[in-house]
Amino acid sequence: MGVLAKRKRIRGNSEIPMASTSDVAFLLLVFFIVMPMKSDEIGISLMLPGKTNKNDSAKVSQKNVAVIKINENGRILFDGQPIQLKSIQQAIRERVQANDKTVVILETHPDAVYGLMVACLDEVKLSGARKFSLKTTEL
Amino acid sequence: MNFNRSTKKETYIPTSSMGDIAFLLLVFFMVTVVFTDESGLVVTLPRAEASEEGLRDLISNVYINEAGMISIDDMIVRSEDVGQLMMRKITENPFMIVAFKTDKFTPYGVVSEVMEGLKEANAVKVFFNTDMEMPGLAF
Repeated sequence: MGVLAKRKRIRGNSEIPMASTSDVAFLLLVFFIVMPMKSDEIGISLMLPGKTNKNDSAKVSQKNVAVIKINENGRILFDGQPIQLKSIQQAIRERVQANDKTVVILETHPDAVYGLMVACLDEVKLSGARKFSLKTTEL
Repeated sequence: MNFNRSTKKETYIPTSSMGDIAFLLLVFFMVTVVFTDESGLVVTLPRAEASEEGLRDLISNVYINEAGMISIDDMIVRSEDVGQLMMRKITENPFMIVAFKTDKFTPYGVVSEVMEGLKEANAVKVFFNTDMEMPGLAF
């Protein structure tokens, strides 16, 4: 009797459990659905002025302009005064509060590194200034 | 009074084919996943706090590496030819957004030249790709 019982038990176990196949399939399914959603497009969006003639580009009064200048050594000047990157945001905020017509111009020297320009652009965006434009220092 | 008997019959949804359905969906999503077929150039993106997500379907990439090499659609182009190339691309897709995947140490002059080309082509929507920076974290 003991021998028979042993045999039965072995036979009963020789089966691969299939109940969890759908779980596995769903797991893979979720993975493949979610993966393309992961966007690597993260950044700062901007509108360029487009094709303009020299004549009809917008004229802005000098007193409404705040110029952030990045020179070739990587120094940042705010209206001619040296400024720390972190202070830009506050400086622009104060400017816009005092005069809501303020246009921020980010002027970058061609030899300055792009990363610094993006860092400044980031600060300008964070300050909430609506009107701003990019400019390249002419040599 | 036979009505009661028939309603007592156990109702169940057959779940044995759920795995099949899951696998079918899995195969479908695996097949339809589009991997980016552009290798571009190796760049280290700058970081920015004001980052936002861009619409992937509309984006056309411009890679510029540290040495100032420009790659569009896996072709190395000169900055003078960007305008022509973009003019062709924007007629294919008028809502195109040009994404700058530019190394943070690239001289700004190269980026500026490319932007001039974009203005010429009237491709005014640009996007500067960045890495997300967590507020308060130093870089």
